[in-house]
Amino acid sequence: MDFTMTDEQVLLRDTARALLAKECPSSLVRAHIDDPAAAEPLWKQLSEWVELAGGPLVDLCLFLEECGAVLAPGPFLPTVLAARLMDFEGTATVAMAGIDGHWSVNDESTRAFVLEADRVDHVVAVWSSGVTAANVTAIRQVGSVDSTRRIFEVDVRPVSPHVAANIDDWLERAYVAVAAELVGTARWLLQASIEYAKQRVQFDVPIGSFQAIQHKLANMSLAVERAVSATYYAAMAIDADDEDRHRAAHVAKAAAGRAATLCAKDGIQIHGGIGYTWEHDLHLYIRRAYASEALLGTSGWHHDRLADLLLR
Amino acid sequence: MKLEWSAEDEAFRAELIAFLDEHAPAEAKVGRDFTEGGGFEIPKWAREWQATLFDHGWMIPGYPPELGGRNATPTQTLIYMEELARQRIPRSLHFPGYAIAAPSLLEFGDDEQKALAPASIRGDLVWCIGMSEPNAGSDLASLTTRAVQDGADGPFIVNGQKVWTSYSMIAEKCFCYVRTDPSASKHTGISVLIIDMDTPGIEVRPLRHLTGAEDFAEVFFTDVEVPAKHLVGGLNDGWRITMGSLAHERGGLWIQSVAMVQQTVDDLCSLARRCGRADDAGVRRRIAEAYEEVASLRALGYKGFASFAQGSSAPEHSYLKLATSELGKSLYELGMQIQGPYGAVADPQRGAENGRWAHSFFVSFANTIAGGSSEIQRNIIATRILGLPR
Repeated sequence: MDFTMTDEQVLLRDTARALLAKECPSSLVRAHIDDPAAAEPLWKQLSEWVELAGGPLVDLCLFLEECGAVLAPGPFLPTVLAARLMDFEGTATVAMAGIDGHWSVNDESTRAFVLEADRVDHVVAVWSSGVTAANVTAIRQVGSVDSTRRIFEVDVRPVSPHVAANIDDWLERAYVAVAAELVGTARWLLQASIEYAKQRVQFDVPIGSFQAIQHKLANMSLAVERAVSATYYAAMAIDADDEDRHRAAHVAKAAAGRAATLCAKDGIQIHGGIGYTWEHDLHLYIRRAYASEALLGTSGWHHDRLADLLLR
Repeated sequence: MKLEWSAEDEAFRAELIAFLDEHAPAEAKVGRDFTEGGGFEIPKWAREWQATLFDHGWMIPGYPPELGGRNATPTQTLIYMEELARQRIPRSLHFPGYAIAAPSLLEFGDDEQKALAPASIRGDLVWCIGMSEPNAGSDLASLTTRAVQDGADGPFIVNGQKVWTSYSMIAEKCFCYVRTDPSASKHTGISVLIIDMDTPGIEVRPLRHLTGAEDFAEVFFTDVEVPAKHLVGGLNDGWRITMGSLAHERGGLWIQSVAMVQQTVDDLCSLARRCGRADDAGVRRRIAEAYEEVASLRALGYKGFASFAQGSSAPEHSYLKLATSELGKSLYELGMQIQGPYGAVADPQRGAENGRWAHSFFVSFANTIAGGSSEIQRNIIATRILGLPR
């Protein structure tokens, strides 16, 4: 087992980081709150990276982690997820979860938690008999605390032949992909909190010199380190089709969800009053952290699936 | 990043497994708690097993054959640690010699001192480490055991007290941290002496701890004469060795700690089934959360190892020390809770558990205190890894 990044992987991460720093400033993320079209220039830059979906999951995760660190809005995530189910040109999203919100295979006509459904070229629907392109007969946006990602309820009907797909495999990849994004989000929250604790002076010293703050940050960084490691381990396990992949995917999503929400809560506390303002970017990250923790199964749901595997 | 091992590394593992199958004694396969302190004697089988490992180059695989190894790569050393942990086989029942004294002597000692290393690794020479004192726990650098040199080349005269000194009841030598310059700042006035435990003036008093066992001791030094040539490294240069000792202690222990917590999670699954609690939603959730933690910690250890093997320092060890000790403690407590009314019962006539979860819980209090308490680990993470001001 080797966690060392290859030179190509280092280059991929650095390229993604530089690209997203330039193309996805927080001004774009904020503009997207009122006008989803604000994310279109970003998509033009990201579209060529959709091909990562066909390669090793580790590489896709390296890219998605950087997306999560800047809260990249738009169709990139749903498109790379859909690309494992069907070939298409342009953007796409997956309609799978039923109205109960669970991502289990069903044949209902109404699907929930369909990401960016009004602005994508294709909707890929999952049915018990396979995967199809879908016609959307009705679409309703569902309000979300996450202003960086939009969710929809859609009524769908199949418009292409059902094609068999390994949905369990796809779900595991999706758990880990969202975990990678969450890792990036958690990392930003941790880093912002560390920087703030170093420069914020109270009682004549930086608050980061207080053990009460230091120990919170130590716990946050432990959670982030666990989440990073669990996520890339799961990606490697899936790439190798190792027997541990099933457990590892649940571990990754649960660990990443816990890390991001912990860093959100304690990050606000460390920032104090300034963190409670609309002006500071913290709340954008907190919104994404909680919405993604719930997307494709909450940490608790993944724990329950782990318990099924451990205690059957 | 990839999950697979190379063909050479798989061959290394196969050779190790074949060796263990042929040589490991039955007594070694009982899943011993690696962190429990030493007792009054080291069983004969354990002495023989450690010597067998040494003689076959399997004691510290990364060392050359004359030091009980086979010049294994860091990755192969990891495979070795992982396989021993997986089979729950301890290398040795007394860690100070092979894990702390020998590596420190090889790094800092003169030729005569280095010559002690093979016997220390083979387990023929039993060591204790004189570090903690009644007033020098987490603040180790404030230690006050005094060593005054009698003339330029004369012996050191040692006075003072050490505490929590594992194996001191049976050790032949003590790797002892002493203050040689009380006027210097506290980190710069410390030296290391090798002290023969049969020197007049040394008194060892067993110390009973909260489980009721007596497996470590207090050591009192009264005018103990130590030859000048037993100074390790430079005079007043001992703090550097301290840091080395602690690094040696932590270097490879993470995989054992992780493996132990993993075993505890497995044991909790069995316990939940035996107690009819396997369908209890609360119990299931707690066990799964623990699994998530231990699986991610194992991955974190491997990730840290990747940078360690490339020559970088691996701060992951502080994370792993902190997380595995805290998690272990909470899991033994969960084991008590799963037994409901019988959680605190310790009676062989009342169920198979016989108080072993409570016992392990009590023992595990040591794990979040010894070797750098959880609070110290968080301080280290905050200041050395996250760069927060001291």
